[in-house]
Amino acid sequence: MDAILNQVPIGIAIGAVLLLAALGLNFTFGQMGVINMAHGEFMMVGAYTAFVTHAWFDLNPDYALLLAVPAAFALTGLLGLALEAGVIRHFYGRPLDTLLLTFGVGLVLQQIARDVFGAPNVDVPAPAWLAGGVDVLGIRLHHARLFILALAVLCVVAIAYYLNRSRPGRQMRAVLHNRDLAAITGIPTRRVDATTFFLGSGLAGIAGVALTLIGPTGPTLGHNYIVDAFLVVVVGGLGQLRGTILAALALGLLNAFSEFWTDASLAKVIVFVAIIGFLQARPQGMFTVRSRALT
Amino acid sequence: MLSVRGLDAGYGRAQVLFGVDLDVADDSVVCVMGRNGVGKSTLLNTVTGLITPMAGQVVFDGHDITRRPAHARVRAGIGYVPQGHESFAPLTVAENLNVAWEAAGRGPRTLIDDALELFPRLVPLLGRNAGVLSGGQAQQLAIARALVSNPRLLILDEPTEGIQPSIVAEIEEAIATLHDRGIAVLLVEQYLDVALRLAHTVTVLDAGAVVHSAAREELSEERVRALLAI
Ligand SMILES: Nc1ncnc2c1ncn2[C@@H]1O[C@H](COP(=O)(O)OP(=O)(O)O)[C@@H](O)[C@H]1O
Ligand SMILES: [Mg+2]
Repeated sequence: MDAILNQVPIGIAIGAVLLLAALGLNFTFGQMGVINMAHGEFMMVGAYTAFVTHAWFDLNPDYALLLAVPAAFALTGLLGLALEAGVIRHFYGRPLDTLLLTFGVGLVLQQIARDVFGAPNVDVPAPAWLAGGVDVLGIRLHHARLFILALAVLCVVAIAYYLNRSRPGRQMRAVLHNRDLAAITGIPTRRVDATTFFLGSGLAGIAGVALTLIGPTGPTLGHNYIVDAFLVVVVGGLGQLRGTILAALALGLLNAFSEFWTDASLAKVIVFVAIIGFLQARPQGMFTVRSRALT
Repeated sequence: MLSVRGLDAGYGRAQVLFGVDLDVADDSVVCVMGRNGVGKSTLLNTVTGLITPMAGQVVFDGHDITRRPAHARVRAGIGYVPQGHESFAPLTVAENLNVAWEAAGRGPRTLIDDALELFPRLVPLLGRNAGVLSGGQAQQLAIARALVSNPRLLILDEPTEGIQPSIVAEIEEAIATLHDRGIAVLLVEQYLDVALRLAHTVTVLDAGAVVHSAAREELSEERVRALLAI
């Protein structure tokens, strides 16, 4: 029983990472309809950013992680901007081309990672202050997992604030609701697209940094999460913040529990079957989508 | 103020407009009429930058704006109220006005107060989502949203279509008021009586081409009725 309960925090931590990845996809896929297959590789870039902060810059692991979060956000955000301007912008309305091209970009990024860092996984030391844990009702809560959860909560709050209270956030919601109406309202829709892509990709970078705390860091790290992240967005209901949060937690827990009882690949199959069953029952996701805006 | 020359436009390969010429002088109200599907909305969409023309020119204030993006035309002083009184449904009425005011990025804050003074029905609705408004309220919001960008030319596409009669009169009055304040108006209107009350010039389109254009005084009402088949 204890062993089962102890899967809960693991599931929540996985769910929080999925949430970070899915929040980014919510911008690029849920709202702009762009299937960016390189999103997983953006997570990988974020994870290697955490690696680089101490391996190259020799920063103290105690605060290197805190620096890695904004650095990864900025770096993958810029990568996203470049991808949008260089590739995706020219293929709006052509989802299959976009999918294949961004898949290719992902492979290129993986190869670059292999060339620069080598094919084997690298070690990203966690800060000492994340080493311990607390026991609550007999469940061990590792600091690292709590940190990931806090990071996810912080990002959700920041996004909600941005969308609902800030001027660029309002513009983003307007463009996502009705692009033509936004344009004739005076909103520079292209620039808003670029910002959307920057934020969505930047969140993938943050997810990548969080991943270094719960799993190995290697060139194909994004690979393992991209499908799950897309599933979260679809199950949560396109563009729905609340649905995305619940779907991420549910999928994280499902992953953690099924991995406990069976082996990993069978766990994936179980998750897929559960999701296919769910989508049969509720094709519109967990919540009905009334508009395409994040609310 | 606005001068359209030899405009060819359409959707993909389907051409809708054929060599359309249209002028809106400073301080005037021009009404474009025509049966359904003749290309009135296509003309307005091309003037405002939603559609890139196949040929021809759109000149505003002496500047060729044919290739400028739609949002830049708003900043240049063109306000557009498209057909169908659409709003940003997930945003509140206040946010709808704010987002437009911010995007135009130059006017004084009083523009929002002025717009609300023109449409006082919107005031108690400011905190509501725009998606819940009735047709008439939504049309007033759509016009107000165009006004907060401080336009010198206001373009409206069938502003009284599908609106409850009590509000139709308010909208007509608002257009007249705006013209009195010095805003030029380009209007698509189905009702001849409304058009004749507001317009200085009436232009009739058929099959994507101008078939009749005359100042109100010289207008042959029979001819227009015949062209509109009413
Ligand atoms: N988005 C569109 N795509 C393709 N054809 C369109 C589109 N919008 C309008 N049309 C066609 O263009 C023609 C003119 O339409 P429109 O300009 O809306 O006419 P009006 O406003 O005068 O009723 C019609 O034949 C219509 O079917
Ligand atoms: Mg029309």
